[in-house]
Amino acid sequence: MRVEYINPFVEAAFNVLREVLDDEVKRGELYLKSTSQPVLGVAVIVGLTGDVEGRVLFDMKRDTALAIASEMNGEELATMDDLAKATISELANMITGQAVTKLHDLGFKFDLTPPAIITGENMEVSNTGVEALIVPVELKSGKLEINVAVRERT
Amino acid sequence: MSTISSGELRREEAEKVENIDYKMVTFSLAGKDYGIDIMKVKEISKAKRFTFVPNAEPFVRGVYNLRGDIISMIDLRIMFNLPAAKQGEQSFEDMIILRLDNFLIGVIVDSIDKVVGINSETIQPPHPIFGDINIKFIKGVVENEGRLYLILDVERILDDHTEDKTSSPAPKLVREPRGGAEREKAEAERAGEVDYSFVIETLATFLGFYVTDHNRRWVKDRFDRWKQIRGENGKEVQLQEEQDAREFLSSFFSAYNQRFWGEDYRDAFKALFSDFDHEGNFLVWNPGCGPGYETYSLAVALKELYPDVHLKVWAHDQDLMNISTAPNLVFQEPDLPEYMLDYSSEGKNGLQFSKEIRDAILFEYHNVLHSNPFPEVDVIVSRDLLSFLKEAEQEALVAEFSEKLKPGGVLVVGDHEEIKSPDFESISSGTLRAYRKR
Repeated sequence: MRVEYINPFVEAAFNVLREVLDDEVKRGELYLKSTSQPVLGVAVIVGLTGDVEGRVLFDMKRDTALAIASEMNGEELATMDDLAKATISELANMITGQAVTKLHDLGFKFDLTPPAIITGENMEVSNTGVEALIVPVELKSGKLEINVAVRERT
Repeated sequence: MSTISSGELRREEAEKVENIDYKMVTFSLAGKDYGIDIMKVKEISKAKRFTFVPNAEPFVRGVYNLRGDIISMIDLRIMFNLPAAKQGEQSFEDMIILRLDNFLIGVIVDSIDKVVGINSETIQPPHPIFGDINIKFIKGVVENEGRLYLILDVERILDDHTEDKTSSPAPKLVREPRGGAEREKAEAERAGEVDYSFVIETLATFLGFYVTDHNRRWVKDRFDRWKQIRGENGKEVQLQEEQDAREFLSSFFSAYNQRFWGEDYRDAFKALFSDFDHEGNFLVWNPGCGPGYETYSLAVALKELYPDVHLKVWAHDQDLMNISTAPNLVFQEPDLPEYMLDYSSEGKNGLQFSKEIRDAILFEYHNVLHSNPFPEVDVIVSRDLLSFLKEAEQEALVAEFSEKLKPGGVLVVGDHEEIKSPDFESISSGTLRAYRKR
């Protein structure tokens, strides 16, 4: 993954999370992965096109997703209903959107696709042929993993 | 639907293990694996014929003269009531010399295995059903590569017993072990082998440097010289801490490591392409590029050689800190060899490379052992990268080099590395070590 892409994603994630959650957000060590990995329970996918091809995946446990959605809506949400799903999708959209804006300022042209949310038990995600950058984020309500897999168009 | 495969879990586990912050010397007692914190271990060695001390506890085998220091020897097997294979007087036994607060003590074990690096978070507390050894002597249990190690708390074990022994004025009463020069020599040779294999193990655990066919010749030479230098300075041959390991490897790195190439190296590099006619695209792969000095150097050299080709360099490293500054590398004029001046321009904080050079290079945060999604290249420059991969990974990467290089393409490796593969013929130039793909 091109070095210039890393920072915009990390910065956008932290700016947005700090703003919407109004809480301490800790960053874990970044690392690379090229194997398939389990999905924690709730995953949002945002596709990227343009100079690159790939996708960003936000992965968290159900409880974490509910806690984030509750905080963002200012009310307690107990089930993963439409409102909760829409809220989590929006969060993914905000983070990816901000990252793409930052990248645009650096001269890289990206477009994004509308987010898709996937929930369920025992799922895994595979990146065939593309390695993913993992940005682990520690929130008070649990762990959020941002999994960025993009490659240059050749 | 599909569940997490066990391979997946193992890989997760492996990632946890990668964060190594605790190292231990492992050994076996009665067929079980044990470990001792490496910070407590002064050295390991082989010895025989300990001088018997009358009226001592049964587990005290005697005292031993270690290059002038008299140390007590304790047999852990007897101490823990484990079956000890009866050894003849003449056979060597493995021992570990421990450095506790203010004294040295030797323990005899069945056989010493290796140094294992683990993440201290993976150490689990001992469980009461470990029957063989009193639980209060066990610091914890850890699993590594499918083996379970019990980590011994040596201070607990040896503290009570050793107090009076070390204070006794033993030295004067001890006779030098008899046997003459011949046995000494044999012992030294044995010790030399132990030292060598221990050095190899410690290089791997401290710095992730793996000795294989790709670098063995250098390591052997270096070890002989190292032994001599350390001997002259009265220091231990074994590498006891990371600093020692760094010193051992200090002369391994290629010329102009982490610096721009000087003219001599550039010319040697250019000479590799003397019969290489080229137009159109010129593709280069630079795995393990670090902070980018090497990448820029080779890009400038190739630009000088082939001003009209479309140069494209993929530069990869998996050290994020190192590579993150590479795309916009800023440097000062004195650091730059004169021939490169034409390719740089004044930026905000110092000199930068021209857009032409920067646009030719794509720096990526990438693990080269993952799939490498780019077309076949004309040149691969991979100095001092192979040796820092595990043996199987080294083989995989050499195979990948062969796969990714066009026929007739050039592979440059570290000055002290070599490739032994039927796919490559050597075309070294100066100190630069290079191969051409057949």
